Amino acid sequence: MKKTYFVIIALVVFVYIIREIRKRRFSIKESFWWVLAALVMIILSIFPYSIDRLADFLKISYPPSLLFVLCIVFLVFINFRSSKKIAEQQEKIIELGQELAILKDKVQSQK
Amino acid sequence: MEKKNKVLFVIPAYNEEENIAGVLEEIKNDASFADIVVLNDCSTDKTKEVVEKNGVKCITNIFNMRYAWNVQTGIKYAYQNNYDYVIQFDADGQHIAKEAIKLYEKMKENNCDIVIGSRYLKDTGYPCPLFRRIGTRIFEFIIKVFCKRRIADPLSGFQCLNKKVIERYAIMGNYPEFPDANLVIEMLLLGYKIEEVPVKMRLREAGESMHGGIIKPIKYMINMFYTIIFILIQYPRKGK
Repeated sequence: MKKTYFVIIALVVFVYIIREIRKRRFSIKESFWWVLAALVMIILSIFPYSIDRLADFLKISYPPSLLFVLCIVFLVFINFRSSKKIAEQQEKIIELGQELAILKDKVQSQK
Repeated sequence: MEKKNKVLFVIPAYNEEENIAGVLEEIKNDASFADIVVLNDCSTDKTKEVVEKNGVKCITNIFNMRYAWNVQTGIKYAYQNNYDYVIQFDADGQHIAKEAIKLYEKMKENNCDIVIGSRYLKDTGYPCPLFRRIGTRIFEFIIKVFCKRRIADPLSGFQCLNKKVIERYAIMGNYPEFPDANLVIEMLLLGYKIEEVPVKMRLREAGESMHGGIIKPIKYMINMFYTIIFILIQYPRKGK
């Protein structure tokens, strides 16, 4: 029974992401890692013992900790990627603002 | 006939309605050969009106950029309009127009890239808070160690830049948030020629300083050290 709940949660997340992309509220390019994460969630909820096998393979004695580690690594990765993008965009916004201010002044002085 | 150099005073201003008129008046009287541009950083007071009433060019940002990027807008303007020299000048009345001429003269005389107006090169009687004095000393020491040069006042915003530097600053994408000692170090490591001239400065007349309070200077120092570490990693050290 528990398994069904997890499958439902994973599917809801997956459908939600796909819906956002289809409604063009989320870009295809940016969605890649989230769709991948949702797919992994679905797979893990259908085959919960796969994480045990993987833990066994990696010689990790407590399988849930592997799950947590994977989640944290994913979140840190996504977060760092966002920070990088924010920094890039901040630079571009400043540049745009500066150019626009100069251009606006130029246009006004030609009037 | 010698080609006349185009000189531009770049004045970043944020809520300086009380000081700016006097500053502009002074420049017009004492340095009439130069053009002036005021960069109004979305002031909430009448800075823009006061500047325009004085018949001076005023570029207003579309959002608040804060000091450094506001200055960079002015440098971009100078670059696009083909100015030969830029003099960075404060809107709060601290900098003296007659002293700016000294920077310009030194620039032409020594053919250097940046001339810094220094409060501490000679005793100019500038009263300086202890914290700032200590900060200046620390940066002076860092520059001495890594660049083998003495720059007595690396935190001075009173600078004259030549065309080469204008171009570099105008097109550099990562112009620092606080363009002080870090930028001086970067330019020295890149081989630009920097000189200092002792200048007099006044204390602020009205309005609020951007380095006031306790938290801001601490944040500033941390930011500065952090940036300097990366500059030292990025560019090869001199005399190695």
